[in-house]
Amino acid sequence: MKNKTIRIALTKGRLENKTVDLLDKIGYDVSELRDKGRRLILNIPGEDIEVVLAKAADVITYVEHGVCDIGVVGKDTIMEHGGKFFEISDLGFGRCKFALAGKKGNNFYEGYGIKTIATKYPEVTRAFFENKGMDIDIVKIEGSVELAPLVGLADAIVDIVETGTTLKENGLEVWEDVAPISARLIVNTVSMKLKQQRIAEIVKQIEENL
Amino acid sequence: MKRYDLLTPEGTRDQLFDECIAKRTIQEKLRKIFTAYGYSEVITPGLEFYEVFNGKVHYFPSETMYKLVDGKNRLMVLRPDNTMPIARLAATRLRAEKLPLKLYCNQSIFMVNPKNSGRDDEFTQVDIEILGGESKAADYEALSLAAQSLFAVDEDFRLEIGESGIFRTVVDDLNLPEEKAELIHTLIENKNYPALNEALEGISCSAAEAVKALPSLFGESEVFEAAEKYMYSKELRTKLNTLRETYDALCSMGYSGKIKVDLGLAHKKDYYTGILFRGYVEGYGLPVLSGGRYDTLLGDFGRNSTAVGFAVNVEAAAKVLLKSVHEPLTKPVDVLVFSMSGCETLGLAHCAELIGEGLTVFNSLSATEEEAAEYAKQHGIRRMDVVGANSAVTVKEV
Repeated sequence: MKNKTIRIALTKGRLENKTVDLLDKIGYDVSELRDKGRRLILNIPGEDIEVVLAKAADVITYVEHGVCDIGVVGKDTIMEHGGKFFEISDLGFGRCKFALAGKKGNNFYEGYGIKTIATKYPEVTRAFFENKGMDIDIVKIEGSVELAPLVGLADAIVDIVETGTTLKENGLEVWEDVAPISARLIVNTVSMKLKQQRIAEIVKQIEENL
Repeated sequence: MKRYDLLTPEGTRDQLFDECIAKRTIQEKLRKIFTAYGYSEVITPGLEFYEVFNGKVHYFPSETMYKLVDGKNRLMVLRPDNTMPIARLAATRLRAEKLPLKLYCNQSIFMVNPKNSGRDDEFTQVDIEILGGESKAADYEALSLAAQSLFAVDEDFRLEIGESGIFRTVVDDLNLPEEKAELIHTLIENKNYPALNEALEGISCSAAEAVKALPSLFGESEVFEAAEKYMYSKELRTKLNTLRETYDALCSMGYSGKIKVDLGLAHKKDYYTGILFRGYVEGYGLPVLSGGRYDTLLGDFGRNSTAVGFAVNVEAAAKVLLKSVHEPLTKPVDVLVFSMSGCETLGLAHCAELIGEGLTVFNSLSATEEEAAEYAKQHGIRRMDVVGANSAVTVKEV
């Protein structure tokens, strides 16, 4: 990487398309990004910008270690993984929420038994219930979390809810919102200082085109 | 069963050859600067009582410290920081020493990093601490030494200054409950503008405006003008002016263009009370140097004194140094000395002689001259001396 090249890490998938649209709107040549094949590092012709595609949690890791200067990643991943970086902008897209959900009609807070929560996001879940001062058991699930309360593994789930259709179709309902989610722009703490001007320009362009 | 006898714990590693040279080079450069300025070295124990770091204020979260118990079941920690042991030292064995005291230390510190983060759990830190003395003079000296230390690591460094008093005053003036104030600190530290605006929604006062502006007030001299309108009290204006004077002083010392300022430089929990500073070099994603003024910490240990200091992360600096050199740091020795069978003591005597001439030697332990020559070739040693009976030396080019 040339000394002053700005490397941007994008979260692959849903956020990627929206971010590429945004870069397009700013006026960057995103042809390589749209037709990327299997390449992982892509150029924006005529600009000092390099784009890296990575899984959400890896975007944070790359930015934290300073090998990427800027990252676009969902608040859900930031909440689950944490880390040291500047979280400077809410990009507004990829909007959804973390919610506590369970079987329709049940009262989660009833009784004194310790509740079991199934989730893909154990840290988010732990922090949420720690703030409530409530002891719970967390079961980490990798796939469809909605299954856990249905088969009796958990009393509730903490998961990302967009439209709520999956919940409804499985007889579940949202009991409580945990936190809102949207895509965020993050910046490495050292890059922010060493490449201040260029990063400020890019951030401004991005914010103006939201 | 897993063979743990063959592994080093996560976050620790064996350092070999060039890595050692790079690390020693940095340590030596820093030591030279500090001893030239009359700093005295101290070494504190690697093991300390838990209470040293978890006393009046909990600056170090319990889960980030390596803990163990001593023979009396008392809780100990592997030192997570060099400043607090020095504060303890100043209040105990150095209590009769007149201030100001200028100390430096060069030792490992230990911290538990999140799993799989790729960060070092054990790393060497070189610290200087100035205890007592006139604050302005001490700040300038510490900053000057910080700039010199960074220069020793990478000539193209950036030294950034901030003032913890500014955001503390502003956040205090908001009169928020402790939890909320802590959240605001974190948000300023992370330059999380959207969340900061959200957290302050509905609060409209000059302090809230200032808090919202603080994280974006970073850069060079233009920051001071931009910040003026947010400094709503005389106290804040004075603090900003002092910082500006410091900034100008550093520029006048020949560091113009390398000095940056960030009014949002903040830590949720730290012992700093005045000026804060951080050093950055290209090629490492975190600051390689950090420090500041801590006027209340020594008081926590029972000796009221002002103090200022900073620490350089030696491992980080060594990594940057290693990246910047393109040839191995390890140089081959000048001469390989091979002794014929029965002439081993003569060979060693010849080694000593060569060393006396200022050369470096490798006393060959090979069985035959051919093997020795092969070793020399493999290791880039250009000259081989063969020592025979009666100290007869044949010099050969390899």
